[in-house]
Amino acid sequence: MSDSETRGPDERAHAGESAHASGLPVFADDGTDLTVIRWMLGLSPDDRLRWLQNHMRAVARIGHVQQRP
Amino acid sequence: MSSNDPDFFRILRVLVSHDVDFIIVGGVAAVIQGVPVTTADLDIVHLRTAANVERLLAALDDLAAHSRLDARRLRPDASHLLSPGHQLLTTDAGLLDVLGEIAGGHDYETLVAGTADIEVGGRRVRVLSLEQLVETKSRAGRPKDLAAVQLIRHAIQERDRRT
Repeated sequence: MSDSETRGPDERAHAGESAHASGLPVFADDGTDLTVIRWMLGLSPDDRLRWLQNHMRAVARIGHVQQRP
Repeated sequence: MSSNDPDFFRILRVLVSHDVDFIIVGGVAAVIQGVPVTTADLDIVHLRTAANVERLLAALDDLAAHSRLDARRLRPDASHLLSPGHQLLTTDAGLLDVLGEIAGGHDYETLVAGTADIEVGGRRVRVLSLEQLVETKSRAGRPKDLAAVQLIRHAIQERDRRT
């Protein structure tokens, strides 16, 4: 896993502030957070696919926790 | 390995090692190209020739693929894969949907011109371009497709701004 993939939301937020400072919009008119898209585009295809798989595993773990009596 | 612990890299590695002609479509195609969407399965459209279906069957055998709609765990056969229908499969590396056609009659041969050749896991694979994803998802017209279209359009704009 690369450093860029493991970067946390705080750092993404910082990237958003940087984008705002650079004049790029942070949000689209429909409310989409463009900083997340820019972060994703900064990853390699492999890291993007790992991000998806990690997300799926996290969702599964949450599901298991919720099913516990 | 299960659908809760997917290894899409392995599925792609097995397909490529069997020389299967296929195109990655759907959510995984969007993710590989930088769109932050989530999906639980890998969707592919395959070339529906007898030779390619034979190679695909060998790959699916390696992945222990079987129908996830049938309690008998039926394995797809050549007649299934030569049809334009959708085979919704569970494999030992995660969920895999093998699609003869998508979005109203678009098959491998009509889609291949709109693909990008991208390296994933050290192998080159064909991935439906973001522009074609917008077209096919818009044509599908379901709420979940239309929600993804918005994100894909933003990703195209951001990608093009970078280049």
